[in-house]
Amino acid sequence: MITRIGTYLPVWSGRGGRQAGPDEDAITMAVEAGRAALGEIGPEDVRLVVLVTRDFPLMEGGNAAALLAGLGLPRSTDVVERVGGAPAMFDGLTAAEDATLVIGADAAGAAGAAAAWSGVTGGTLTRLARVHRSLPLRARGQDGVVHEDEDPRLQRERGLRASLEASELPGKPISVAGLSSRDAAAWCEGRPPELPTTGASAPLFALAALAELRSGGVVVAVDQATVSAGTWEPGAVVVHRQERPALDAPTRRATPGPEIKLSFAAYDRAFDAKLRWEAGACPTCGTLAFPPRFRCLGCGEEGSVNLVPLPRTGTVYTATTIHVPVPGLSSPYTLAVVQLDGVDVRALVPVTGTGPPSAEIDEPGRLVFRKMATRSGISDYGYAFAPGGGA
Amino acid sequence: MRRVAIVGAGMTSFGEHFDLGIKELVPMAVTEMASSVDRGFERSDIQAAWFGELATTDGFPSGILADSCGLLDIPVTRVENACATGQDALRNAVFGVASGYVDVALVVGADKVRETSARSTFWDWMAMTRDMAWDYPLGLVAPANFALHVRRYLHEAPATREHLAMIAVKNHKHAVTNPKAQLRQEITVEQVLSAPMVAEPFGVFDCTPQSDGAAALLVVGEELVSRYTDRPVWVRGMGNGVDRVMHQHKVDMTTFPATVKAAKAAYAMAGIGPADIDVAEVHDCFTGVELMSYEDLGFAERFRGHELVEARDHYVGGRIPVNPSGGLKAKGHPPGATGVAQVTELFEQLRGESTNQVDGARIALAHNIGGPTAVSAVTILDADRP
Repeated sequence: MITRIGTYLPVWSGRGGRQAGPDEDAITMAVEAGRAALGEIGPEDVRLVVLVTRDFPLMEGGNAAALLAGLGLPRSTDVVERVGGAPAMFDGLTAAEDATLVIGADAAGAAGAAAAWSGVTGGTLTRLARVHRSLPLRARGQDGVVHEDEDPRLQRERGLRASLEASELPGKPISVAGLSSRDAAAWCEGRPPELPTTGASAPLFALAALAELRSGGVVVAVDQATVSAGTWEPGAVVVHRQERPALDAPTRRATPGPEIKLSFAAYDRAFDAKLRWEAGACPTCGTLAFPPRFRCLGCGEEGSVNLVPLPRTGTVYTATTIHVPVPGLSSPYTLAVVQLDGVDVRALVPVTGTGPPSAEIDEPGRLVFRKMATRSGISDYGYAFAPGGGA
Repeated sequence: MRRVAIVGAGMTSFGEHFDLGIKELVPMAVTEMASSVDRGFERSDIQAAWFGELATTDGFPSGILADSCGLLDIPVTRVENACATGQDALRNAVFGVASGYVDVALVVGADKVRETSARSTFWDWMAMTRDMAWDYPLGLVAPANFALHVRRYLHEAPATREHLAMIAVKNHKHAVTNPKAQLRQEITVEQVLSAPMVAEPFGVFDCTPQSDGAAALLVVGEELVSRYTDRPVWVRGMGNGVDRVMHQHKVDMTTFPATVKAAKAAYAMAGIGPADIDVAEVHDCFTGVELMSYEDLGFAERFRGHELVEARDHYVGGRIPVNPSGGLKAKGHPPGATGVAQVTELFEQLRGESTNQVDGARIALAHNIGGPTAVSAVTILDADRP
């Protein structure tokens, strides 16, 4: 049963929905949604993570370590990376056993992510039908090039209608994920919930809305000619939405290279503390060091450091917005030194999800998992400061 | 310790020397220095050289100095210590002479900033100066590095962006008479404030230009001074101070502890205090850095540096003239050369022959801060034998 649902929308408005910021990708959004879904659920209660998206940052090299680090889950957690849209996500949800976190993320186009944690209480999604048919009017191959042959009527009649008929549903759906809101309404009974995305995250945005409305019925997920359908029986589902009102994206100017390559040795040394937001704690005197360091700042003890989680809220000690072009980055961008709440630790981090102008001194906010840069083709993840905190 | 004096000092002009490589600039500075030695000197007098160069250009630095200057029979040491590079080359040469290891030493500082494109220089250099995993990907370029300090300083102190602008105006005015300076035009406070932003609170006119150049000094032991001049300039105090490297570890960003430590060491060695300084060359890569440094060097009380600005005490003719050469802001800033060029200016000031002379200057101070504000150098010079 789906016990908890978390959703995330990037703050930037775009055409047909929200758009991912320059520091966001499927992994960072999956982390936001996953953390929103988990809430107080501890790592011991997550046995499997299923990430469904068409926008995996890496096809080779691995996304799972960064995903688990961002979610705060152990490295031993099983991760399934599943390429697909709304039906693939739907299948992931119907198949989920207890203690599974299923996340759908959409980074391209209308962006967003949603995650569900399955437990022993909550809403029930029961599979009714699954139809795989091929009508790939939009296709993307190994080369990454999108081939699109726009023919909405062919798509509707020979794609969706034919597959829905083949599904032999017991009645009209109350929600269709994978279509624009207007198109979805045409297939539904009554007025379906408005969904902010049309990809892998869409089915969970639908279930989140239905859970909030306490509505049940037939729900469908579509992707061109592919359909998955099921019955949703709402229960006591905890829905946590990480969705701030949309802002107009600021005009940023990207400056081409020269790129300074990633040092993989430095990447490796920093990985756990940087992606898990952990400090080194001196086993002798308890002094925290961020980043972790060989010699303790407090007592001089050397060589032994335990990693401990850092608070994820803080206030700006100082900040600056850089307006000049910097190769490989988009200007303007803001950097802040943030005093973390309740510990004697500051962090130098980029500011995300606002302005410029952004990040006033003394402004509170929270630390969120983001992409610091793309170097040597790799997403270099870390934490950014989101002013305003709250949500 | 044996007393040490500077008997010759010279520099190339600072600017975008696209037509001159490091192999030209270095010998040019040495020849300029040689022409300032009152009684002349033979190159064979030089027994050792220290070469300050921050970024390696056109190859192996020590070899380039020896090769380009015809000094193939002496030991040469390259010094790199961020923006303190030039003064640290001098400090090490003074150690060599004071110890008696050599009697006559050459100090050269040089850098070719504009060997890389104007747009990418500081980004390229950042790879050398930042933690590769934690700082580098964030885009902590040089202006941002100092802007984080100055923004906090302006938050806590009564000073405003106008005070920063007034420092830029002053340094541009000072540079007008300096034939070696890169930016020799006067500007107004309005121009500074309305200039395009670089990194808040710094606009374009709050920032040093990108410069190429070289400077050289001849440093000798006290018994040899009279062989070269009757008007030596004595090295009376030297200090080097450091601080934590990463910004998140700097507890109070309204001050530069590296400067405080370097100044304390230099004043103690000289046996004097800030009130004794007649003229100073202060590190002004960004205007706000000069303002904060007034306090760290003891020229102003904490958070009262702006009062010195408002009283125009930092102009030539004021209580504590700062950067009569135009400073890094207007004279230019090829980092390896900068500290050596500051000492060149002060050598001329203490001999009464600067193009922007401070009347009756007898004791002078040079200051650098750099290496993400983690290293500082302070040198105190005296016209009189200590």
